Amino acid sequence: MIPDHIEEIELQGLLPRVFAREELPYSEVWRRTVVFRRGGRYLVESASGGGKSSLAAFIMGARRDYEGRLLFDGRDASSLGITDWQEIRRARIAYLPQELALFPELSAIDNILLKGEICGGVDMQRVEGWMERLGITARRDYPAGRLSIGQQQRVALIRSLCQPFDFILLDEPVSHLDEANNRLAAGIVEEEAGRQGAAVITFSVGNPLLIENPVKMNL
Amino acid sequence: MGLISKLLRKNTSPARIAGFALSNFIGLLIIGGAVMFYVDSRGIWDDDESVINTDYLVVNKKVTSASTLGDGGATRFSAADLADLKAQPWVRRVGEFSSSDFRVYASVSQGGRGLETALFFESVPDSFVDLPAADWRFEPGQPVVPVMIPKDYLALYNFGFAGSAGLPQLSEQLISGIPLKLYMRSEDGSRSMQMEGRIAGFSNRLNTVLVPDGFMQYANSRLGDSGSSAPSRLIIDVSSPGDVAISEYLSSHGWEVAGDKSGSSAAYLLKVVVGIVMAVGAVITLLSLFVLMLSVSLLMEKNRQVIHRLLMLGAPLRKVGAPYCSMIVVGCGAAWLLSVGALVALRSLYAGALEGLGVGTGGLMWGIGVGTLLALGVVLVNIVAVGRKIKSAWGLRISDAG
Repeated sequence: MIPDHIEEIELQGLLPRVFAREELPYSEVWRRTVVFRRGGRYLVESASGGGKSSLAAFIMGARRDYEGRLLFDGRDASSLGITDWQEIRRARIAYLPQELALFPELSAIDNILLKGEICGGVDMQRVEGWMERLGITARRDYPAGRLSIGQQQRVALIRSLCQPFDFILLDEPVSHLDEANNRLAAGIVEEEAGRQGAAVITFSVGNPLLIENPVKMNL
Repeated sequence: MGLISKLLRKNTSPARIAGFALSNFIGLLIIGGAVMFYVDSRGIWDDDESVINTDYLVVNKKVTSASTLGDGGATRFSAADLADLKAQPWVRRVGEFSSSDFRVYASVSQGGRGLETALFFESVPDSFVDLPAADWRFEPGQPVVPVMIPKDYLALYNFGFAGSAGLPQLSEQLISGIPLKLYMRSEDGSRSMQMEGRIAGFSNRLNTVLVPDGFMQYANSRLGDSGSSAPSRLIIDVSSPGDVAISEYLSSHGWEVAGDKSGSSAAYLLKVVVGIVMAVGAVITLLSLFVLMLSVSLLMEKNRQVIHRLLMLGAPLRKVGAPYCSMIVVGCGAAWLLSVGALVALRSLYAGALEGLGVGTGGLMWGIGVGTLLALGVVLVNIVAVGRKIKSAWGLRISDAG
């Protein structure tokens, strides 16, 4: 059983196993104790190949090839079963992967509605509002695979927001957006995270989501 | 249909599912049909013999002119014969016939009219007689001896003798209730005893008048002259009555099998044929199981990325597996329904012929029952396979990113 909210995600000496034998460059995350608190704002910056996607995969339960410990409110993530992870993904930790993971044959709006099928409904009014603000309303019914990467990024961002969450992990969410759209996206993320009292953890290799006063750390 | 199942059903090949349903149908039909036919027709082959198991063979050496002129030793089985026989792989056990070494006269009196005949006794080890031990036992001092006579003797009396002699016909029940007076004396006439006999059963397969082994030993020791002699007939419990090795062995030694064994050979043949047909059906069913497993697993492999992404969004495993499971259930269900229909049709084809023979019910239920179990097995194996496949899509692969 997973409690209603996760307050803290703690990394204790976490390190991807592939890095274990290598000379590790300076890192404020790997092999250290890092705590992400619910309600906080975090920006994890890294060079390419720094392992940010690995970190996201560890936190989302997609991979377990790490050393050290990953704790959710003190509970070791390695003790979680499949149904626990599915519950966490549905209602505790939202995730926008770098590769977006949209379903290309479904329309933009169906990609979002699908999330509602899994997580128990979406607030259509709010979704329509976000689409309007991000300028993709006209692309609502286009197959996601036929949208530009920047448009896909915005659809995927909206989809990631359509669920209850205590943390949202955004892996390079604005890599294909200009600064104006970046600010719009950041505003929406801040708004929804604020509404849910959730933390925002965003990863970047140089074009970070422009959230306000994040705790920065180098991966 | 929800978006999830729409995504998961992508790449479905209806032809492959239909191919599975067809092969599964054929497999189920063959197995179910074989079971059905076997159960229905078993009654035709099964002897109504109940006192001597049909798997027992009674053998003797051929009587030739030479053995008539001799002392009869030529038709007896030597110890070497017995040892060689016991070494045959198809022999479970061998029982020796003991014959009476004294004269026997039996008489029946009924309403003042009597019938008297000279008789003989033989015995086999009691374990070869399928009668309750209480009915087939003799202890010295017991006043009544159980006797088993061939069914043919009764027919001979009823249809041959009774009519010409002006005697009433007797049913099995009736004759079993009539006491038999037995008068036995030794060859030289110096010793004798009188006892009462009771017909304990009728046999189709033993062409002799049988008494319990215990009585034979008792009577031979009191009235017999010589010691024990080698047996001239043997009863053999064989593992497979229709085995050609048996008839080859017997004919090569010049031995004969008493009684009609065509029933047991036919039953054995039926079993073999049904066994072969069922094996073919089982192979087809197994192949269809793999066809289904392969097609579902291929489909899931093609949709692996979709499955992985749905799982990453938190979709419950049950929901991800549901479209594949329903595919399996529909495919198997269709094959099962078709096979049930075909079994019913098949049965109606031969039901008329079987009813004429007065046997055969329950075959359909057995056929359907076995088919249902197999279909359920196929469903179960495949659902387990789907579960494993989903779990394998849980983890990331290079191809999943991007």
